[in-house]
Amino acid sequence: MAEPPPVPLPHPSGPLAGYRVLDFADEKGQLCARLLAELGADVIKVEPPREGDSTRQRGPFYRGEAGAESSLYWWTMNAGKRSITCQLRLQAGRDLVHRLVAQADMVVETNAPGRAADLGLDYATLREVNPSLVAVSITSFGLTGPYKDWQATDVVGVAMGGHMYLNGDEDHGPVRTLAPQAYAQVNVQAAVGATTALYARGVNGGLGQQVDVSMQEAVANAMDNAQATWDISRTNLSGPGLRRNTYGTVVLKYLYEARDGWVAALNGGPIQGPNGQPLIDWMAETGEAAPIDQPAWREKLLSQAPLDAEEMAVVEGVIEAFCRTRGKVALVEEAQRRGGGWAPVFSPREIVEARHLKERDYWIWVRHEEMGESFLYPGAPWKLSATPWMQRGRAPHLGEHNEDIYSGMLGIDEAELRRLRMRMVI
Amino acid sequence: MSATLKKPFEGLRVADFAWVGVGPTVSKYLADHGAEVIRIETNTYPEAVRRAPPFLDGLPGVDRSGYFANFNSSKLGISLNLKHPRGPELARRLVAGCDVVTESFTPGTMARFGLDYESLKAIRSDIVMIAMPLFGQTGPWASFAGYGHVLQAAAGFNHLTGWADGPPIGTGIAYTDFLVPHIAAIALIAALDFRRRTGIGQFIDFGQWEAAIHGLGTAVLDYTVNGTEQTRMGNRDPEAAPHGCYRCKDGRYVVIACETEKQWEALKAALGRPEWCDLERMRRRHQRLQEQKEIDRHLQFWLEDMTLDPRRPEPTADDGPESPQVKRFTTDEVVAHLQSFGVPAGVVQ
Repeated sequence: MAEPPPVPLPHPSGPLAGYRVLDFADEKGQLCARLLAELGADVIKVEPPREGDSTRQRGPFYRGEAGAESSLYWWTMNAGKRSITCQLRLQAGRDLVHRLVAQADMVVETNAPGRAADLGLDYATLREVNPSLVAVSITSFGLTGPYKDWQATDVVGVAMGGHMYLNGDEDHGPVRTLAPQAYAQVNVQAAVGATTALYARGVNGGLGQQVDVSMQEAVANAMDNAQATWDISRTNLSGPGLRRNTYGTVVLKYLYEARDGWVAALNGGPIQGPNGQPLIDWMAETGEAAPIDQPAWREKLLSQAPLDAEEMAVVEGVIEAFCRTRGKVALVEEAQRRGGGWAPVFSPREIVEARHLKERDYWIWVRHEEMGESFLYPGAPWKLSATPWMQRGRAPHLGEHNEDIYSGMLGIDEAELRRLRMRMVI
Repeated sequence: MSATLKKPFEGLRVADFAWVGVGPTVSKYLADHGAEVIRIETNTYPEAVRRAPPFLDGLPGVDRSGYFANFNSSKLGISLNLKHPRGPELARRLVAGCDVVTESFTPGTMARFGLDYESLKAIRSDIVMIAMPLFGQTGPWASFAGYGHVLQAAAGFNHLTGWADGPPIGTGIAYTDFLVPHIAAIALIAALDFRRRTGIGQFIDFGQWEAAIHGLGTAVLDYTVNGTEQTRMGNRDPEAAPHGCYRCKDGRYVVIACETEKQWEALKAALGRPEWCDLERMRRRHQRLQEQKEIDRHLQFWLEDMTLDPRRPEPTADDGPESPQVKRFTTDEVVAHLQSFGVPAGVVQ
């Protein structure tokens, strides 16, 4: 039988190869650290002994069975990292971690300000241990301000950050995206801060700094033009249902039901303006464009003059009837051929099955050798020509790299390791 | 000491051929941290967001859009018609003095002007170039165009946003335009750090769709591993209960989420331990997941009962302490009360 692949797979050709990151993060920072691992950094996840990181208990689970090694959340967010256990509530644990901090380039942590100090992860302490360290401190509401000690999960982040207000409709109120977007936003924006601070260190004689990242602010950074619209026109945008937020004026629907689902066609195609004429021609070919293929209608749509409610209903009715009898991918491919920027509404399954992604070799089989199975994971979020992205295998088991790291990096001998284990330090 | 520190990207010059939302947001990160970013635009066809409201004083104009301003502060701007016979040559001379090139046209556009990576690398060997169309440089959909409103549909965000029995309404905004630029910036800055240390430039083929899929949490693995297709379920969560959004008397909404037993205990305390929440079938999270309808009904009632109705008159001196307008609170006060017990709660604002 072939040797199982090492966990994680080595990635010496990544642009961040050579950097070492200690990851103490929960949902607010694990994806940030994973992206750094995929760029080549050596990312070490530090977990509490025995129970492990709290996200190991976060569903969904492999075959629905909860367990420390079966969380798909853990698999997704921690692939490509190493794992050690360390009890930061004990002085001996904090001492061990500080010895690692002395050899690291970056710490990613997500503790509230006071709690970080209790665990020896506050910036004042970290800086003393390693002045070159980049300390990425991710919190729900930032390190300062009146909400700094408030509790937040994803839905609180999207609510307080403003994103949820922009979703939903008048009848039902605001709605959240099931895939947690406050977590997604804070992770990717923290990673921009992290890489920027690494770069800054390089041009400032090796001086580290703290990066203060707030989940609320990350969400507020992702509100399209809602703030500008308020600043300039005092219009407070809110959830528009099947339409979109447009500075207070109602425009044509952008979602239409197809035979097998839905398509997104911004501004009804766009059916107004010069790009709309080929779309009208398309519907006219099968006699389905009436009445908007009549000269007066065509002229009105070409001119982009505003439509009243009755006219909008006519135009939307034509597009709705046309879409309803056709498959969504065929609709999108033909609309795109005719200059309409359409896209299908895809479910996760349809994304995995999409031809375009297959032909770009997007998906990656990741070996879970202990289970004798491989699973499909999302692939490169970017293709770097000189320093390629790399999926580095499955997420680590709890404490899988204790010996590698405590012996290899810190030179701790076997007897001492045993003592640390018995005292539940590691 | 801090006065002598350099901004990280000081000394870097960026030729920014990108437009609309994604590309300009990426180069703005560089500009805000010290790079000299030069937006290159043509006068013959002002880009979409210059033509998009909100406009200053409500008057349209290519230099009046708040939408454009948000993406492009901290930058320089020049106009250059690449379709003019001399346009591409001027562009190449500009790139010769640059460290970074950004663009977000459909694939092949830059090549038509002789501005593709291979051509630019010949002028400036260590250039870092990032191309950011919706669907990447290759593949059957590479030529497809569109905005963030429709890419969010292809990337699963519409499917995952809305009510369980309703249409895939999506986020109401051009959502991926506000997710993928951050992911692109990570790759670009990492490539710049590699160049800082090695002098080696490179090309980044960035497909917005492929990046956005990394924002789907567990939805992909839940399908590829378990065959489960996650789908929209309003404000509920498959892992947490209670988990919802509730309307208060003033028309504002409050979210409450209990992912852990500790948070549930905190909520019980904050509610004053009413009988319903001590029922046996409310004890564990997996039980509460079956009782969400009832939990939502109780929380909705509690929030309506607690919050002030702005349409009712102000209390007078004659109102006793139990008068509705005296004992009730603003929505912000109710959220602060929940938070003081350690309950994850917030106002939808």
